Parts: sequence; structure tokens; C-alpha cells
Amino acid sequence: MADQSKKEEEEEKENPSISISVPQAFLVHLISGLGLAISLWVAHNLYSINLVSHSSITLRLIWIVESATVILIYSRFRIDPQQCSYLKAVVRGILALPVGALVNALGAIALGAPVGIQYLPKTINWSLLMSSFTVAPAASVFGLSWTYWQRIFAQTKPNGPLEYMICIPAHGAVIGGWFGAWPMPLDWERPWQEWPVCVTYGAMTGYLVGMIVSSGFVLANGRRQRLKED
Amino acid sequence: MISAVILQIIGLSLFVFGFFPVKPALSGVRSLSSLSFSDFFLNQFPLITLSNNASGPESFYSDDDGDSDSVANHTQTSLPPHLLKSLYQELSGIHPSFDRLILMVTEFVLGKDGLPPREDFRGAMPYTQALLSNGMAIGYHAKAAPPTVTMPRLKAMVSGAIGGFLDVAFNFNTQAMLDDNLLGQFFRIGWKMVMLGDETWLKLFPGLFTRHDGVSSFYVKDTVQVDQNVSRHLESELNRDDWNLLILHYLGLDHVGHIGGRNSILMTPKLKEMDEVVKMIHLSTIQTRDNDQGKTLLVVVSDHGMTENGNHGGSSYEETDSLALFVGLKSDHSDYAASPCNSIYQVDIAPTLALLFDVPIPKNNVGVVISEAFDLLTDDKQLRVLELNSWQLLRLIQAQLPGLSCRNLPSHNGFTDGLASTIVECSGSMEKMLCCLYMNAVNLHSSWKSKSLSRSKSRDDYSCTVAAYHQFLKTASEWLSRRVTDKPVGLLAFGIVTMAVSSLTLLGLMICMSTEDQPGENQRLCNSITGMHKWSVNEIFLLGVMLILVMSMASSSMVEEEQYIWHFVLSTSYVLFLRKAVQPLASGSAKSLFKMMKGQTERHDICISSIILLLISGRILRGWHQGGVNWTYLPDISKWLEQAGVNHVRSIQLVSGLLVISLSMCALSLFGSRRKITRLFGLCFLICGLLVLWHLYHNNAFVSTSYDAAIQTQIIYAILGIATIGTFVALPWFIPLWFPSTCSELNVKSTSVTFDGQCIFSLVEFRDSSYLIGLAYIICWCLLQLLLQQPINSMPILLLLVQIFSSMLYFSCSGLQHIEVEVALLYYMGMAGHFALGNSNTLATIDVAGAFIGLSSHSMFLSGILMFIITYASPMLFLLSMLMYISVKCTSYLANHQNVDLGHLAKMILGFPCLVPVGLNSILLTSYTIVLVLMRNHLFVWSVFSPKYLYVCAATVCVYAGVFVVAATEIYTCSIIPERADSDADLTFDDGLSTCASFMASQQMNDVQPLSSYNNSAAICSNQDDFRQALINSINETTYNNSEARQLISEEESKLIAAKKHSMAECKRRSRINSQFATLRTILPNLIKVNKASVLEETIRCVKELTNTVSRLKEIYGGGRLECVFPAGADKLRIGSCEGKGQEVVKVVFSCDDKRKLLSDVARAVRSVKGKVVRAEMVTMGGRTKCVLWVQGINGNDELKMLKRVLNALTEKPNMARTSSKPKLTL
Repeated sequence: MADQSKKEEEEEKENPSISISVPQAFLVHLISGLGLAISLWVAHNLYSINLVSHSSITLRLIWIVESATVILIYSRFRIDPQQCSYLKAVVRGILALPVGALVNALGAIALGAPVGIQYLPKTINWSLLMSSFTVAPAASVFGLSWTYWQRIFAQTKPNGPLEYMICIPAHGAVIGGWFGAWPMPLDWERPWQEWPVCVTYGAMTGYLVGMIVSSGFVLANGRRQRLKED
Repeated sequence: MISAVILQIIGLSLFVFGFFPVKPALSGVRSLSSLSFSDFFLNQFPLITLSNNASGPESFYSDDDGDSDSVANHTQTSLPPHLLKSLYQELSGIHPSFDRLILMVTEFVLGKDGLPPREDFRGAMPYTQALLSNGMAIGYHAKAAPPTVTMPRLKAMVSGAIGGFLDVAFNFNTQAMLDDNLLGQFFRIGWKMVMLGDETWLKLFPGLFTRHDGVSSFYVKDTVQVDQNVSRHLESELNRDDWNLLILHYLGLDHVGHIGGRNSILMTPKLKEMDEVVKMIHLSTIQTRDNDQGKTLLVVVSDHGMTENGNHGGSSYEETDSLALFVGLKSDHSDYAASPCNSIYQVDIAPTLALLFDVPIPKNNVGVVISEAFDLLTDDKQLRVLELNSWQLLRLIQAQLPGLSCRNLPSHNGFTDGLASTIVECSGSMEKMLCCLYMNAVNLHSSWKSKSLSRSKSRDDYSCTVAAYHQFLKTASEWLSRRVTDKPVGLLAFGIVTMAVSSLTLLGLMICMSTEDQPGENQRLCNSITGMHKWSVNEIFLLGVMLILVMSMASSSMVEEEQYIWHFVLSTSYVLFLRKAVQPLASGSAKSLFKMMKGQTERHDICISSIILLLISGRILRGWHQGGVNWTYLPDISKWLEQAGVNHVRSIQLVSGLLVISLSMCALSLFGSRRKITRLFGLCFLICGLLVLWHLYHNNAFVSTSYDAAIQTQIIYAILGIATIGTFVALPWFIPLWFPSTCSELNVKSTSVTFDGQCIFSLVEFRDSSYLIGLAYIICWCLLQLLLQQPINSMPILLLLVQIFSSMLYFSCSGLQHIEVEVALLYYMGMAGHFALGNSNTLATIDVAGAFIGLSSHSMFLSGILMFIITYASPMLFLLSMLMYISVKCTSYLANHQNVDLGHLAKMILGFPCLVPVGLNSILLTSYTIVLVLMRNHLFVWSVFSPKYLYVCAATVCVYAGVFVVAATEIYTCSIIPERADSDADLTFDDGLSTCASFMASQQMNDVQPLSSYNNSAAICSNQDDFRQALINSINETTYNNSEARQLISEEESKLIAAKKHSMAECKRRSRINSQFATLRTILPNLIKVNKASVLEETIRCVKELTNTVSRLKEIYGGGRLECVFPAGADKLRIGSCEGKGQEVVKVVFSCDDKRKLLSDVARAVRSVKGKVVRAEMVTMGGRTKCVLWVQGINGNDELKMLKRVLNALTEKPNMARTSSKPKLTL
């Protein structure tokens, strides 16, 4: 027991830069959720398009708004503020966006997304959206620090509120997208069964649920921290 | 030696124990499933068993007439045919307008949804089109009931009954039709019948035909001969007048469809040929009519439709859409406007024909007469026709609902009051409704009759009556055809319960085995791989897959599109495995300090690349065939290739054949190409492969009907069979145990040497032989599939092989945990491959054409087996790969464990590969049976759920067959090798010194499994302690275990033995030296020469290097400030005091073996002397732990001594279960 608490203390000392208070965390989630909502609202009311009718254009709108929001917000909480300026964090977030999109697109194709010229723009836009859910915030915050990436995405062992805030919504988006793919082969003949409509709905739902869950975790974490300090 | 034998026996019996409980459950499942299955289906349709005797004259009486029975009983048996015929005519009151019937069965291509067919097809049959347009013929879309397979459809057409689903199974084993049917009725009134064409008719109605010429429907590739056999008799038959019924069954169009699909180039000429036949018949019938030979009716029907691909068996619109064409009903074609094609049911043909020719309607008929056929008759006759049909249907309804009687209804008195009162609003239960509808019709009819007597009949009344009859007939027909009767609930429940119990037993056994495993594993591995025994995400997911599958089975559209589930789930699990493989890559940066860890990272590279290979090949497999039902029109690779042309497909076939052979040769060369037996083996299968390739090259799929091709194929079958069985039988006998003479030349290594040397020794043999036999099975199966499958499927076969090899590569890297999960993954891969080969859950995708490759004579049994082989290619392939899996796991077992407990190993490694597939399959079978019972009233029960159930049953058979092969091979090998080892060992003893030396050691370890050698060397070499121990062992050779005494030796030989004793001792000593050298050879990395001097040299070099490394690391970590942070080899305990801040702090340093609960024990010990740990540092490496504690609150010497004592007691506890372990650095 003594060992463990010591380890934790040491780790906290190692990265003192990651500090985000509970209201800040809530605010970040609120803003990124609002970004999503606004982009959907804009698509619906200003351009009067939706995912079913113009999936490619709508997706593009959503990912542009969402990635901008996410990168701008999360860059404020970069882990190495001494070495890395705010601008640099934004730039690395933007650079990571297409890379993450590539990974997401490959994953989707491996899981059975249709391949073909007519699906290409849809797939690209969808994967950019997924990338802004998953990779972009992590890139803004962590940069190229491989240990963090591995801990969060390969091992799913986040610690600290900031890592919760990145890890859980990202996993939520991926898992939501996975579940969203289930109705695709069914013979209901609805327009939303097309690739990538229901997967996008699933991913967005998963992302929102992930944000709520991570807020809960952050809250619990903060309370524990306070108890410990007492 | 004896102990080794005993161990072997224990292992074998444990294996049998692990395997035996499968067997009773096996038989239980099988017998019960088949029992309940057949009962289930037979009882769905009591129509079949309703009555076996034909209906007689009583069918012309209403049930209300009391005297009909007596008349019937008298007349039926006694009357000669011609009298019976006239009796029927008299009774029915409909005088037939036709004397002769020509029934032509063929398959016309019909338009979709009432649209006209394609223009060129229309053009191909001008005469028929002309007949239709000028009203000489009436055409119908006749909707056939699924299953759309020939025999049930023929039965439906002649009896009017809808058959049970099991008729599909009997389609390939046709039996005589015993039910009441048209042909039987015709026979009874003395008709002469002639049959030309499909011999299914002959099997259905043996002895009814006066002349016949049957052709077999099983040579699907023959499109010309089948029809010539029919047409050559046609002209002479048409000229004769000694027949009343002529049946012509043309198979050509069906075969064209099977070969090339609807749009085949062969289609148009075939349609032209059929049109010619229709023209010929029609012209001749006109001629006969002119000659006053009686009128002839030509009925052209098709038994079923076909899908775009030309297959049939399912229930899609294209498949059920068949044709019924009545030619010659109308002679005057003046005022007839071409009517649009109406749609009827196929069963309607039977009552129509029966009434047209004045025979009783078959008893089990559920069809309704086609009223247009009787347009020429007078009104009263038409009503009589409807009345007769209604009586027959009512009788059928009454047979099914024994209590039903329509006399109770108060409507008999109504007809005098006029029309208004007689039409009762029909509502209420189905029975009442039917009855009421019937009574309505009867009342209207009788009122019409009475009016017609009084010459006041009006057209209105007539149409009312007809409408009422039609309403009743339609409702009754639909009700009857949909009727699902009571099933024997008890029997069904019993069957399900037994299946559930058996699958629960299997499941329990699996859980039992895996939990039994875990503690042992924990004890062994807890030192090094802490936390690895926890269930990780992908393992939980793989078990959750089962749940997903079971749930998805309840939805008909999920059943139709099952392949999506498999592919999706499987690729998700690949992704999860990839994630797991990435996990430990850089988890500890400290690891990179060790140069010895290089092997570890290399291993991870292999893991990752093999998973990526799996992902890619899985994706291609998924894209190859767009299976299923709803999305078949979507583009996929196979359609694209087929459009690209036959030549491309053929070249792909040849290339993938070549790649299959080269890939398997690669896998063989991994085993070690230098051995004689491997060379022989490789040569053998190379010849087989080249033969297959040569055959594929020379024989186009379309022309392989020739006799030579069949012979060639048979030769290939024989060679493949001999090669495989030969390998299976001979390999355990001839696998080399050692090479006395070449020992020093070859790169001989032994895995590890323990006191159970013998046991390990035969384990190695076992592993080698199962690897080779498994490889032989896989190669043989792949080559067979290359031969049998459609050319387009050869690439998926190659991809499946790639999947097998890469998954083996991956599994060789993974540890021994959760073998059951990996076996389950293999099983899932097999099922996904089943769909990747173009199969689906409809019967239409079964490749019938392939089932006759290489059969020179028609054999139901053989072609059935071939069809099974083709359909279950992939699951079987993966089941056979279990042998390789076992061998791979053996290797990692050998690498990880020094104390080989063969029983444990056998149970774990051999039990799971057999138990898990059977268990999973039994779960699927049971749950699907329950689903089927729940869904028995579902709309799609016959079209979706029942075919799926057939597939599930066939999959069960496949799993049993595969597991049986695996188990039989393993048992055989297990029983042969120890025997051989013993006998050879005895020989060696007698021979003396020379061969003894290599007794324990000789194995070509490095050749055998490069797959795992990384693992092996990395794990062992990095372990300093083991290394030291091995050194000590090799130097120490004093103890001598004399327990291995020889058997009884007679007294006369004692002298000789005394003389030999010295040599025996010498032999043993040498063998010990050699074995230790062998150990050294195994554990030394980078060993180039293997002679003893080089080994010693290398050992010295290695020890020096290690010492250097240790001192360097000391510098890095300790930096001279602290003492060595690494645990010492010997148990040590030092206690000293140092200054804390104000308080006295005692520093305790000790090294000991790492073991479970060490930390908690230490904490308890410290607490027991009232100390408090203020700081602690621990290093664990190679199963050793070094612990530095700073303890507060120890005052005075006494307490210090107490502390020392308790800690001493703690650290010096003997700890036997030591294993080689991977170093782990925890800071």
C-alpha cells in the first residue's frame, strides 16, 4: 500500500503541468459538445442539409467546426507549456488531424466499410470527423510523447482528469461507431442505413456519452483529491 | 524409463479423460437432434400422412349425403378401369372436353413482376408468344412454394399438396409417392402413360408408365444430351395414339441456368429449342383433332424458377415464379384479347387437371381450380366444378379439425327467403369463418339451382355464387397451406432439454478445465507475468461473440445476412488483438537498456505483422463474395472478375494454386528441410500439387464431362488420399528419434533437460509429428478444394491458407493463457471463411455442379459427400489446422516450462482444441433449435429459418467429423510414439555405448520451430539464474540415479551384465554429460559451431559478457552511491541502522525468491515487531526479488533480532515452483 501511494505521488510530481480544475473540465466538455450541436444546427437550418441527404457535405461541416473547437480548447491544456507555445500545440493538432483520419479510415475499411470511388469523399469526411473526436485533442495535449499515447489508446489506463477527458470520449466515439454499424446490413431499406450515416450517429452519441462519463470521473477524481489533501 | 511410460499412460488417460465426456454428449446431441428434427418437420405437415389411399367416387358426393360412403365402398375396389371411368364421368357431371394430356415440364425464363421477359428471349420463342397473343394458350405465373427443388415441386403439381421441408433432403433420394395424386387417378381409370425426361418421375411413380425413357438430372454440366434424349422419341410418340398422358420433362434449361445463370449465352438457343418442341406438339395436336382422335390438351409447366445466378431452392420471387401454360383450351381464337398473365399457385394445377379429365381431386390438394380453364363449359357445370373443389377442401379441413361440422349453423333454411338473408356476415374464429363461407356458397348455389329450375336464372345470381365459392376456396386454401398443426410438445421439449443438457455439460466441462488451469498457471507464472492471467478485453469480446450470434439468430434478416456478423466480429477481434500487441511495446523504457531484449521486440514485430496480414486477408475475403439475400446485387470482387472474362479467372486460379503449393512448401521448410522424412513428405505433396495444377490447366470447367477428365480426377483423389493417409499412418513410426551418426554434424539442440527427459523427449516427437500430419491434412484439403471449388473460389482458398499460417505465427508468440479463446477464434475464422466462399443461409448457394467432378457413375452418396466437402471447406480446414495449433502450443509450452507435467499438458493442449469447437457448436445448435421452435409461426419459417437449421445441422456434422479426425490423429500418435521410444531405448541398451550418448539430447530444435525460437532464446538466455544453474548442472555430474533398472534378467546372464555394468555406468555418465551439453546448446545465444569445445568456449565467453553487463548495469543504476540494485543469487539478509530525521531508522536489505504474497508477508512481519515501513525499494528480476526497507520504530537490539528472525523465516521458505521467467523491472 505504501508503495502504491508513493508511486502515485511520484507520478504526480513528474507531470505537474497537467492540472485542470473540475469547472474547467466541465467547460471544455460543454464547449466541445456545443460545437457539435452548433454544427448540426447550422447544417440543418442555414444550409438545410442533413446527414441522410447530403452526408458528405454535412460531415465536412461538422468536422471543420468540431476539430477547430477541440484543437483550440485542448491546446490550452498542453502538457509541456514551457517548451511548447499555444500556437505550436494548435499546429500539431492540425497536423495530427489527417494522420488520425488515415488511421480511422484504415480501421473502418478493415472492419468492412465499402471501398469505391463513390464512397471515397464520404469515407474521408467521416474519418476526419472521427479523427477530430479521437486523435486531434490528444495530439494537441500530448504532442509526440509516445508513452502517453500508448497508455491512453493501447492500454486505456488514463490517470488524472485531463487524460480522462481525452480518453473516455475518444473510446466512446469509437465504440459508438462500432455499435452504429450493426443496423447496416439489415433489410429495413431506410436511407440512414447507408455508410457512413448510422456509424456517424453512433459515433456522435458515443462521444457525447463519453463526455458525460468523463465529467463524472473528473468529478469523482477531484473529490478524492480533495479528501486526500485534507 | 518405466516412470516415463507411466507418465505417458497418465497423460494419455488424462487426455482421454479430457476428451471422453465429449463422446456421450456427442451421440446424445446427434441422435436427439436428428430425432427431434425429423419429428419436428414431419409433424408440421400431417397432410402427408393423412391418407394413403386415393380418393374414390365419394369425392363426388357432398358429405351431407349419407349414402355416399356405401356407394364408395362398393365401387372402389371392384370396378374395372373403364367402368370406373364412366362412373366418374357420370357422377361428376362435367363431361371432359379433352381426351389426351401432354404435360411438358421445362423451365422458361419469365419476366420479373409481370414485366415481359428480355427482348432476345421473347424473340427466341416466337411460336409460344404467338399462341399467347392470339388466345390459343393461357399463361400464368404459378407461384411455387419453397423449397424450390424439383421433387417437392413435382409432388405439389400432381397432388396439389404443399410438401414438408424435409422433401429437400429427400430430393436426392427420391422415393415412390404413396399419396393420392393425379397420376394414380389416371392410372386407375385405365390411362396409358408415357414419360420422357427426368427420371425423378420414374422414382416417384414406379410402374405407372407404359413406356419411359429417363435421364439422370445429376449431370448438371450436360445441357445437350438430356434434351436430345427426350426429343428423339417425340415424333414417334406424337404419331401414336395408344397413350393418354405424355409427360415430357426437359432438363436442359435448368442445367443451363445452373452453369451460366439467367443470362447465359446458352439460354437463347435452348429457348428456341423448347419453342420448336411446343410448335411441333401443337401442330400435331391440331392434326389429331382434325382426325377425330379426341382433343389433346398441352400443359406446359415449370417446376420452379431460377435466380439471376441460375440457382434455385430458396424463396425469392425469381425462384418461386414458375410457369403454367395451357395450350388448346380454346379452339376458337376469334374474340380473345391477349390477357395479362395472371398469377396462380402452383398447387392449383392439380385440381384443374383433375376436373378437366373427370377424375377425383387428390385428397390432400389445397389448390383452387383455375376458373378460366372451364370457360367453355356451361354455367351449371362451372358451378359444379367449384362445388366439387369445395367439397374436397372441406373434407380436408374436417380431417384436420375433427370437431368441425357445418350442419349446426342455422342457414339451411335460408335459401327460400331470397338472396339477402343467405349472405351471412362471416366473422369470428377461423373455423367458424370457413364454415360460414362454405354455407354461404352452398346456399347461393342451391338457390341458383332452384331458380334455374324455374327458368328465372339471372347472371347476377350466378356471379354471386361464383364469388362466394371463390371466397371460400381461397380462404380455405390459404388456411390449409399455412396451417401449422400441433406438434408433439413432449417430444420436442425432451429433445430440446436433452440438447440443452448436453451443451451445458460441455460448457461446464470447458469452464472446469479452464479454471483448473488457472491456479496452476498462477503458481507458475505469478513471479514473472503478474496480472497476465486476468481476462483482457479481446478475450471477453471473443466470448461475447457467442452471445451476439445467439441473439442475432432470432432475427430473420440477421440470419439472411449472417456473413456480415461473422466478418464484422472477426475483424473487430483482429483489431483488438492488434491493440494488445501494441500495448507492451514501449511500456518500460528500462527494457531497452537490455540488449538481450532484442528478441522480445522482434517477437512483437512478428505478432503485429501477422495480425495485419490477418486483417488484410480477412478484408479481401469479405469483399470476395457479396453473400446473403438482400444485397446480392452489390458489386464484389468475384462478380468483377467474372465480368472481366474467363481467362482472367483461370489465370487467377492457376496462380493461386501455385501460391498454395509454394506456401505450404514454405511452411514445410520452416520445419527443417534437411531431414530425409521432410524431403520425402515435401516431394510427395509437391507431386500432388503439380498434378492438381496440371489438371486445372488442361480442363476447362465447362468441358470436363469427358470420361478422361473424370478418370484424371479420380486418380488425383486417390493420390491425395493415399498421401494423406500414408502420412497419418506412417509418420509416427518413421519420424526420426535421433541421428546417432550425424549427431555432431547437425545442429542438434534440445529444448531443456529435466529429470523427465524421456517424457520431454517423446513430447518433442509428438509435436513434430503432429505438425507434419497437420500440414499434410491442410495441404491435402486445400488441393482438394482447388480441384472441386469453382475457379473463382481458388483465391479465397489461398487467403484462408494465409490466414491459417499467420494465425499460427501469432499464436506461437502468445503465451499459454486462454487457449480456449484462441481455439474459439480459429473456429470463428472457419465460419467466416464459410461465408467468404460464397455460401449463405439459403439453399440456393450450394454448389451442385461441383459435386459431380470426377464421378464417372451416378452415385448419390459420393456426390453428397463431395457437396458437403465443397460447402464446408473452410470450417473443416480450420478444424484440421488444430493439429498445427497443438504443435505450436507444445512448443511454447516447452519454452516456458521446465517441469513438464505431461498430463496437464495433454489435458490443456489436446483437450481444448477438441472440446471448444464441439462446445461452441452445441451452444449454437441448441439455441438455434429453441429459436426455431419459438419462430415456428413466423412468416419466414420455411424460407429463412429452416434452411438455416439445415446448415446448422450440417455444421454440427462437420465439427464432429473434424474433431474426430483431430482426436484420432492425436491419440494414434500418442500411442505410437512412446512405444517406439521405449523399444528403441531397449535396443540402445543392448547395443551398448555408441548410440547411448545422444539418447537424451538429440533434437533439431532450431530447425523445428523458428516460430518460437525468439521466444525461447530470449526467455531463457536473459535469465541469469537459469543460466547459472545450467552451468552448475553441466559441471556437476556426481549423483547417479539408479532407479531405471532393466527388467528381469536371468542368472546366467548376470556375469555378462556384471561386465556390462561398467559400460552402462559409462553410458549413463556420457548421456548426462551430453544432455547438459545439449542444454547449453539450447540456451546459448548465437551458437555457431556445436561441438563440445565450441560450446564450452562460447559458455565462457557468455559468462564473461554477462558479468561485464552486470557490472555495467551496476554502474548505471547504483552509480557507486548505492549497492547493487539487482537481487543477489543467494538469499541474503542484512540489517543496519541509519540516521533518520530525529528518529532511528533501520535499513533492511534482503534478496530472496519472488513468490506470491511476498509483499504482504513482509508487511505483516514488520508489523508483528511493531515496526513501520517509511520507505521501500524493490527490484524483481528473473524470479528474484531484492527489497530495501527503511523501518521506523525498531528500538533496541532485541527488537532488531526479532525483526531479523521473522524476515529470515520469511525469505528462507523453500519455494519449489520456480520457472524460467521473463525479467521484469519494477521501480
